[in-house]
Amino acid sequence: MAIKAGFDLGSTAIKVVLTEGAQLLWSGQTPTAPGQETLAKGLLEKGLAELGLPLDAVTQVAATGYGKGLCGLAESRVDEIRANALGLFRLSSGQARHIVNIGGQDIKVIHLDERGRVSDFKMNDKCAAGTGRFFELVARLLDTPITDFARLSELATEDISLNSTCVVFAESEMVSLMAKGARNGDIIKALHASVARRVAMMLNKADLGAGVWLDGGPAKNPALALALEDELLAEVKVLANPQMTVAFGAALSLGV
Amino acid sequence: MTSPGNRHERLLGKVRDKVAGEERALLDWLRSRPDYRPRFQYFLGLLSDRRLSTIESRCERPVIRLLCVQAPLELIWAAGFQPVKIASGSSAEAQFSTLNWPALMCPLIKGILTNLETEAELAPGPWVIPTSCDWVVKFWEARQKVAPGGGEVQWLELPHLKNQPGSQARWLEEIRRLKKFLEKLRGRKIGREDLLQAVMALNRAWAAVIELKKARRDGRLASVWFLTILGAFFLDRLDRWTAEVEAALAELGAGQSAGPRIFLAGSPIFFPNFKLPALLEEAGLLTVADDLCSSERTTPGGQVFEDVSESGLLASLAGRYHQGCLCPTFGDNERRVNNILSQRRESDFQGVVFGVLKGCHPYDLESSTIEDTLKCQGLKFLRLETDYATEDRQNLLTRLEAFRHNLAGE
Repeated sequence: MAIKAGFDLGSTAIKVVLTEGAQLLWSGQTPTAPGQETLAKGLLEKGLAELGLPLDAVTQVAATGYGKGLCGLAESRVDEIRANALGLFRLSSGQARHIVNIGGQDIKVIHLDERGRVSDFKMNDKCAAGTGRFFELVARLLDTPITDFARLSELATEDISLNSTCVVFAESEMVSLMAKGARNGDIIKALHASVARRVAMMLNKADLGAGVWLDGGPAKNPALALALEDELLAEVKVLANPQMTVAFGAALSLGV
Repeated sequence: MTSPGNRHERLLGKVRDKVAGEERALLDWLRSRPDYRPRFQYFLGLLSDRRLSTIESRCERPVIRLLCVQAPLELIWAAGFQPVKIASGSSAEAQFSTLNWPALMCPLIKGILTNLETEAELAPGPWVIPTSCDWVVKFWEARQKVAPGGGEVQWLELPHLKNQPGSQARWLEEIRRLKKFLEKLRGRKIGREDLLQAVMALNRAWAAVIELKKARRDGRLASVWFLTILGAFFLDRLDRWTAEVEAALAELGAGQSAGPRIFLAGSPIFFPNFKLPALLEEAGLLTVADDLCSSERTTPGGQVFEDVSESGLLASLAGRYHQGCLCPTFGDNERRVNNILSQRRESDFQGVVFGVLKGCHPYDLESSTIEDTLKCQGLKFLRLETDYATEDRQNLLTRLEAFRHNLAGE
């Protein structure tokens, strides 16, 4: 059996998948830290062990993400946008036409044609607003794990607004809201709406009739998907494991 | 205890060191490229010493400091001056400027304002400034804060609607005033013969630029070398620069470069900020043409003169530098997008990369309308917003790599 590996060496998490043909066999992740290649190799070994496969079962490795250039294990490198398109198009059974990927330090909007090829894309400039880092910052500020964001957001009762598009100013705004007694759930709901507005600006006037597929780590937060639906007035779909699509696409870039 | 004045001087010293480091890094990178040729050393040598005093002794002419591209160069040469476009692509200079100026301001003007402080010889002396964008219009006022006194400025009030009745006549009047300004400075009249000689010298240079463009289009000359050679345009005598270009062209080998072909548009790229051209190469994209005012639009192009009287020459020059200018500050500028489309026929590119410098509002605004038009014509379009800092390299590279795949239809 020809096993291929896809590494997504992102700014906040390293994701590794093992595939056979177009089938996803295994996926795993670990937080990004110095020594990305060693961490990815560790995940690879773990995956193979869990599948009961020897180390030499992997015939090819492709890397993507910001750390792709640092990965000597990979014989092939692919940019994140193409990897994302390949992975999500396959996982959505060819349905995806518009992807919103929220990564650790950027937001990407990718438009696909009916064959899954990238027809256009946009990426935020060097600004952390709306990215995974933004969510982490808010989690620290509110002393609340990100995994609780969706639940707390549902409990929101007050409509408040976060107006700043800059992380630093948004932080000040949140501190000010907390000082005025705003509840965490209300602030989190406002945060989701703020990120959704930012994403909507990147989608411009695109016809979203086929819906939007949300992936990346923050996509695991269902309240964010709801906020995005509300802002875009379009259906937002999320896969079961939205953080793995890019690594899966990297593996697919090796051919199936 | 250190006085504030001393601290400022030390800060400026630090900026000078950083600028020297940026320049050295780019020059070393250019020299270490496999396509480097000893002949290119002439251009690198010019870029490594751009002090106005050096240029004056090199050219044996006094310097006129220029902003933008609307002042007829022929007129300045005819008066016996060396035109030098003042620009800065230094990240350190742009960054230092934020001590005084808004963060979201044109990095080019920010860089020049710091340059006025770090290079004492820059401020005094004559300047010619067309009123192109708002940043350029406010430049002289800002300049008084960092380098007060000294220097004369000749404003050229640029009519921003080319097709408005009277606009060409108004511009011609501005050019006549420029002629008088130059004559007063030089203490002599600019005659028809002076103008004709300057026109012929620029026409020869333009012929060399056309060959450079062909070499880039055919893959015989990398775009970074094209930018380097054009970047040295104002730094030596025109005849010597032209002769060196002709010699360099004669030594170029056969075209070898491959990869999707793109057109580079948008804000200018000045030495030593070659971040975007270097990233385009790294992403496997072949830049075959551009419309940057720091590159292909450094000169307005060759010209045939029907009326070779002094007034006829002056009127033709005025028209060429106004009607033919593609600067985004014009209100009626269809020519800009038409130029990209006609260059597509010549250069056969599949996409356009439009670089916007943060704070460069005319290009930023225009990018949206150009994008719509070009996409309707079947061209792929990528807009990148950046500044002189290098921290967004990876972010930009990701987009350029994806754009390459996009162009390749993968």
